[in-house]
Amino acid sequence: MDLIRDVLDKKLVDREDCPMGRVDGLVMQLGEHSQPRITHIEIGGQTLWMRLHPVFARLAVKLGRAWGPKRDGSVRIPWSRVITTGKQVKLDVEAKETGAIDWEIWIARHIIERIPGGGEEEEE
Amino acid sequence: MRVKRLLVLSLILAAACKPPTPAEQLDSILSWLGTAEMVGNVWLRHTTPDKYSRQTLELSSSTVGQISKDLLKSPPAGIDTAALDSALTKSRAMITKMATLITAKNSPEFARQLDSLRADQKALKRLSDTIESKQ
Amino acid sequence: MKKFMQIALGIVTSVGGFLEIGSVTTAAQAGATFGYKLLWAVLLGTICLIFLVEMSGRFSAVSKHTIVDATRERFGFPFFAIVLVGMVLVAFMVLVAELGGIGLSLQILTGLGFPWWAVPVSFVVWLLMWKGTFDLIENGVSLLGLVTICFVVAAVKLHPDWHAAAGGLLPSLEGDQKAKYGFIAVSILGASISPYLMYFYSSGAIEDKWDVSYIPINRVIAVFGMSFGGFLSMAVLITAALALKPYGIDIEKFEQAALLMTTALPKWGFFLFAVSMLFACLGAALEISLAISYFFAQGFGWNWSENLTPSKDSRFCLTYTIIILIAAVPLVFGIDPIKVTMISMALTAATLPLAIVPFLFLMNDPIYLGEHRNGWISNSVVAIIILISFVLAVISIPLQIIGG
Repeated sequence: MDLIRDVLDKKLVDREDCPMGRVDGLVMQLGEHSQPRITHIEIGGQTLWMRLHPVFARLAVKLGRAWGPKRDGSVRIPWSRVITTGKQVKLDVEAKETGAIDWEIWIARHIIERIPGGGEEEEE
Repeated sequence: MRVKRLLVLSLILAAACKPPTPAEQLDSILSWLGTAEMVGNVWLRHTTPDKYSRQTLELSSSTVGQISKDLLKSPPAGIDTAALDSALTKSRAMITKMATLITAKNSPEFARQLDSLRADQKALKRLSDTIESKQ
Repeated sequence: MKKFMQIALGIVTSVGGFLEIGSVTTAAQAGATFGYKLLWAVLLGTICLIFLVEMSGRFSAVSKHTIVDATRERFGFPFFAIVLVGMVLVAFMVLVAELGGIGLSLQILTGLGFPWWAVPVSFVVWLLMWKGTFDLIENGVSLLGLVTICFVVAAVKLHPDWHAAAGGLLPSLEGDQKAKYGFIAVSILGASISPYLMYFYSSGAIEDKWDVSYIPINRVIAVFGMSFGGFLSMAVLITAALALKPYGIDIEKFEQAALLMTTALPKWGFFLFAVSMLFACLGAALEISLAISYFFAQGFGWNWSENLTPSKDSRFCLTYTIIILIAAVPLVFGIDPIKVTMISMALTAATLPLAIVPFLFLMNDPIYLGEHRNGWISNSVVAIIILISFVLAVISIPLQIIGG
């Protein structure tokens, strides 16, 4: 598996095919006498912005503390939860429980649903 | 090296940001006189709303006034500045009068003003051609 | 029968959605100043657009990815961020111009200045996105844009010298106004080859659930839809050449462009122009707002779709809400939409390489397209587009200053 080609930046979906964002980072474990191995997928937070520049990561952390779901740091999902990779990465999790869509839910509840027509209606 | 490049670029841009020439200014004035003429024609045919026609004539008048002011600050060489000033002021006054005649819905007088405007335009066009040929 | 209806609808909406303030302003300026001499720029822009639109549709139908998805996945986040910033900034300026275009159309109809219309117009655009579906926006509003066919009627009624017009399809170096000629040519190309159209079209292919079987339909829509749209732009140019050039009018303000069809269609020309611009700019404003929001949502992996209720794709909806709100601000302060149009068209041309270079890589990637990758013709055309856009990028900004 080519991690950069097949995993990094790919779309993530949960076991119900609900979108969960993208693979913004990968956590590897380097052992002295063992092969490096991927332990976690990281989503959002400073992981993504650190890939641009630490300044953006610091701004993201500040924004996250001042506003929104007040989540500290990126969401980490164990690599063992990966079901398939390919066009997208499917995980054996439920999106809502991971924290990956906390911002989506927070914005929906605090902003969107307060605007008329923004709430729960029948989908087209 | 980087400073040198920035300096050269600034000089190029500064040179490029030259003000319009008298010929270009006169072309712009003629464009707005042409606009006023066309608005006049279509209003007389009752094909455009009064509000739009009046507002566009007012815009033409004010724009001609603004460009004339800049043009007369550094007029083209070898041109009778007083005559130019007089022609431009007259044209502007005519367009302003036309705008008020729309409000009064006075079509006959409007048509007369439009004819005068056309004559002035021709004179200014000849002047513009003279300036261009001298350049 | 179903496929035929889809083709027909696709062509019709492409035609109806083709013109907007950039293409009309630049074509009208070209005609009023240089007669038929810039028809070649419209032709070249249209040909470029046909290829890009066909590729955008093919890419999404086969790979089931949008162009933005693939840009992030193939090139990584840092490169994607550069493209995002470049594309969004320019698209935002175009959005300001389109909202301004709606406001100017209402201004000439009512006499009330466009700054007063900025907020109500922005609200209507937002409301259509909030409550509407992708079909309503793509089809409904674009069908209204079919009124722009009046430009063709006007051009024909003025009895142009078709032989002379055909001569304008070949480039010529203008004598004494080279800088202005070049600048308007650049702006026409920037108005035609708008990257936001590629992103919108590819997202639309996903919204409409296209697959490999749609490739032939996509090709027909791209060729015929964009060609007919190109004819509309040419009609604007020809009309300006015959109606405005004799008066020596050099279009600087919308009020001057409004006279475009008053000679050919005395009774209705003025109103048709206003209504055409209103619907054309409305359609474009919706497309651009969607394109910008798609860019953010697809790039960051958010939920996105015009067919979902807002709470289901909250970040996507918040994005277009904020964009439209901010776009209204310069208009409220009276910034001239025509000036914004001319600047944004030239900047679009300048940033084309940023959009097209990665797209060329994607169109040749077997992982995404398999056997449906670009052939040598498409690659050559895109390579030439990149070359032209690079040259435009180098010359357009100085020309902006000299010619503008």
